[in-house]
Amino acid sequence: MEQLIEQLKAQIIEALNFEDMTPADIDTDAPLFGEGLGLDSIDALELIMLMDREYGIKLADPKAGKAIFASVRTMAEFIQANRKK
Amino acid sequence: MIYCVGHSIISPLGEGSQANYEAVQAGRTGLKIHTNRFEDVEPFCASLFDTPQSFVPLCIRSIEDAIGQWTMDNGQWIKDTIFILSTTKGDQLDLLTPAQEIACHFGNPNPPIVVSNACTSGVCAQITAMRLLEAGLYKHAVVVGCDIQTKFIVSGFQAFKALSPEPCKPFDPDRKGLNLGEAAATIIYSVQNSECRGQNFWTLEAGSIHNDANHISAPSRTGEGSYRCLMDVMKGFQPEDIALVGVHGTATPYNDAMETIALERAGLQDRPRSVLKPHFGHTMGAAGVVETIICALSVPQNSTFIKMLSGFGGVNAAIRLRVGQWTKDN
Amino acid sequence: MDKGQLKVEGEIEIQPTSVVLNGQPIATSETGDKMLVELYRRYVGDYPKFFKMDTLSRLGFIAAEILLKNTEHRTQTATLTEHGTQNTDMAVILANSKASIKNDTDYMATISNGNYYPSPALFVYTLPNIVTGEIAIRHQIQGETSFYILENQEQLEPIIRSTLNVKRSTILAGWCECTEPNRFYAKLQIIWNN
Repeated sequence: MEQLIEQLKAQIIEALNFEDMTPADIDTDAPLFGEGLGLDSIDALELIMLMDREYGIKLADPKAGKAIFASVRTMAEFIQANRKK
Repeated sequence: MIYCVGHSIISPLGEGSQANYEAVQAGRTGLKIHTNRFEDVEPFCASLFDTPQSFVPLCIRSIEDAIGQWTMDNGQWIKDTIFILSTTKGDQLDLLTPAQEIACHFGNPNPPIVVSNACTSGVCAQITAMRLLEAGLYKHAVVVGCDIQTKFIVSGFQAFKALSPEPCKPFDPDRKGLNLGEAAATIIYSVQNSECRGQNFWTLEAGSIHNDANHISAPSRTGEGSYRCLMDVMKGFQPEDIALVGVHGTATPYNDAMETIALERAGLQDRPRSVLKPHFGHTMGAAGVVETIICALSVPQNSTFIKMLSGFGGVNAAIRLRVGQWTKDN
Repeated sequence: MDKGQLKVEGEIEIQPTSVVLNGQPIATSETGDKMLVELYRRYVGDYPKFFKMDTLSRLGFIAAEILLKNTEHRTQTATLTEHGTQNTDMAVILANSKASIKNDTDYMATISNGNYYPSPALFVYTLPNIVTGEIAIRHQIQGETSFYILENQEQLEPIIRSTLNVKRSTILAGWCECTEPNRFYAKLQIIWNN
């Protein structure tokens, strides 16, 4: 799981263009939206695409994303449970 | 103000403004589910031509239809004319070359203008025409709006999860998103009156463009830009003077909510609305032109109506027009 | 319509290897897209959204930023140099001949046959008017924003003049084009309607 979390942090940084960040700068349990990284609606959609592209997970209902993307940890747990790649 | 002397819509609902207007009156829609139109793209609901169309010939057909309604004083009109193309993705991502080809086809010596202001382009193109003609730079403007749906566009809107799997339901609490559409539509504006052959033509009297300055792909929750546009075009008018408001009504959760707020703030919430996306889908660069024409055909003579749109990039636009019938003596 | 000289209050020209503000060069150590990042760090530094923008938007954003920061200017409703004050009277009118072609190409790479993962973050920049939206958000300009596709810069002048006629107090206008990450050109002016 730790390896997945590190990999996911690097993928998030690249996909969302966090130029000045390294994986060490992202708190695994901090909120991704609102406070914390302050992602917006386009970022949420990009994360949905990331899960499809990297892990073969298709999210049919974007509203389910809210719970999955609460933090890097919740996202990693969801991926671990549902990944096809 | 400038005068409409000819107009045309070519869409999956028919050829010519009248055919399209009658289709809307009869409640017909071009919206259908398409399953194998583009490789890799999931099934989507849209209003598309049965036979895929080429961009430039489609525009030319529409312009020729509009020109056919116009009584020109002489054959010299073309040199006093500016061609303005309203489109978001042009002919396979090229926006300028199709405009040049179209102008060239009609022997127009003036370099054409392309308005690329997202979904508001069709209204912005008319505003551009009004400003150029009122400034005395040209006598006539051929405003043509066109977009053709492609894998590029459909895939993007699917990635945005903005598309409804079924025909859209603007302003409905149960709305699920928008449908895409394609069309070509033309309005010819002139500083000169024209003999109209029994058709309701109109004047374009005011126009306004305002940015929400909020987010590049989501509208302001308080409808700032839309509200300011409405207030600008309403100057000197009361809500009861407006016979019809041609709304954007894309049926996305945010657009319709924002538009409702803007209309309420402007006092227009009770005015009759023209909601056309369930018939044509969202025809993008053509929308402002298609929907202005249908609105004009929908109201009695001497009526004043408003057409409003919003689009990506936070941009909003509105125009105020008056339908009338003029003879050469007016 | 007034055919006299437009009242230009400030001008910036950015190419991949040079930046010239009001006739004076601004020294940079980088070139191309890296130069735009260098200018961002020097003139802005606290706007992470910059890194989500495509090169065309970065170009227009930085050109507008440097130009507006260095223009002492008052409008009917707000001082331009104060962020957070809404300016409803200004127009931002940009143009180019190639629309958003560079970003269109980047987006197309995410929808190739058989390798189909359309990127929403790229798709949003496949409209050239997004540049004007980014400028409007940054400077809280709730006035007019427009984007035109034209053959050349000279074609913009009648559009600017006819917009001045409708009493926009200030127009930020110019050419903003990018065909590759290191092939771009911007020339923006602030035009004052007195």
